[in-house]
Amino acid sequence: MKGGIDIHVHPLLVREMIARYPELARACHETYHCGNAFQPIETMLNEMDLAGIDRAVLLPIDATSSRGTTIYSNEQIVEVCRMSNRLVGFASVDPHQPSAPDQLARAIRELGLRGLKLDPGIQEFDADDRMMYPIYERAAELGIPILFHAGMSWEPGSRLKRCHPLKFEDVAADFPQLKIVLAHLCWPWVTDAVALALKYKNVYLDTSALFFDNPNDFLRYAMTQQVPLTVFERSLRHQIVFGSNNPRIEIKSMARAVRSLGFSQECLDLIFRVNAETLLGEAG
Amino acid sequence: MIIKFERLEVISKKEFEMIDITPKVDEFVARSGVREGMVLVTTAHTTSSLVVTEGVECLERDVPEHLERLAPKNPPDGRYGWYHNRYLDFDGRLGYNAGDHLKSILGGIQCFFPIDGGRVIRGSRQCIYFVEYDGPLARTILLQVIGQ
Repeated sequence: MKGGIDIHVHPLLVREMIARYPELARACHETYHCGNAFQPIETMLNEMDLAGIDRAVLLPIDATSSRGTTIYSNEQIVEVCRMSNRLVGFASVDPHQPSAPDQLARAIRELGLRGLKLDPGIQEFDADDRMMYPIYERAAELGIPILFHAGMSWEPGSRLKRCHPLKFEDVAADFPQLKIVLAHLCWPWVTDAVALALKYKNVYLDTSALFFDNPNDFLRYAMTQQVPLTVFERSLRHQIVFGSNNPRIEIKSMARAVRSLGFSQECLDLIFRVNAETLLGEAG
Repeated sequence: MIIKFERLEVISKKEFEMIDITPKVDEFVARSGVREGMVLVTTAHTTSSLVVTEGVECLERDVPEHLERLAPKNPPDGRYGWYHNRYLDFDGRLGYNAGDHLKSILGGIQCFFPIDGGRVIRGSRQCIYFVEYDGPLARTILLQVIGQ
């Protein structure tokens, strides 16, 4: 199997960026609610090597209206991506700003970013609010995927109800050409998320689910007990993508957990590589 | 009396790794100007160790593998396992390294050697190793020399 892609990485602990932008440390701790143990970019690349991951997709969050900060701006994501050709950047836009669709177009066309990250909890919006539709229309025009935070949200102030999978049904139904990724298997609503993915082929689920215990125990519960593994293997194998949610979870630990579940080798290749390539528009 | 302190950074590339830091400690002592005294070497982390053993590749495999047998990352099935192998909500991050904390306790976090004539006095086979149990990571080692 060729090296994989991690679709869900937040570069929050990159020491080189904290040295240039000390305010990122505060955003990481106070807005993203993640303990600070800053590491050189080399550490992330070494961990990717250990996990059999070739490339990582880096995600920002523009929470200017809701939290008064960005957790990495689009320009800062580009800056990190310049540190290694193994890093792929997504954009974020503030959904409450009318200029959001144009900002997205600029991020894709001028900055070279490859997708859009949105977080209904931190950015305080409902995915099925018609206010969001111009952003979705622009993303569809640009041919890029949207990765939504979905399911459980740790961050203080975020509301779980905004992250329920059924909040994304209108998006999937009204924008069939738009590929959307619902992160974290939408846990605890894994069954609902699976129903959505079964019905809408433009809905993908990423594996970055961990809210108690550890990746081995948690994924075994979510992907074999909440929903049988056979459903993912037989019906959703083209719609599951590997994501770690680093730095909340180590890439190496999440990769081992996914590989230990009992998927066929063919399905693992889809989850770790092919499906992400499809999302990024690289599929041959 | 001379007391000097430095931080040394090492970057591990593997999950388990022994990194020989003997030349770095010797160099620190030589720079310090201390002729008679002692040097203290401490890891600043709780999932790593500072150990002294013979500097051969085979032991660099055996030491972490033995400690992994004593305190495995994943305990045998049929038990609740390590309590620390869980998501730490207060930290916003996974703490999936109870076995690595225990290996650190077993391996110890410090070593010290006498200094005589401006040189670190060690046995001819003794090397100072930083031992990584939860890599890859950038790690900090604390060096302190005291003497005259």
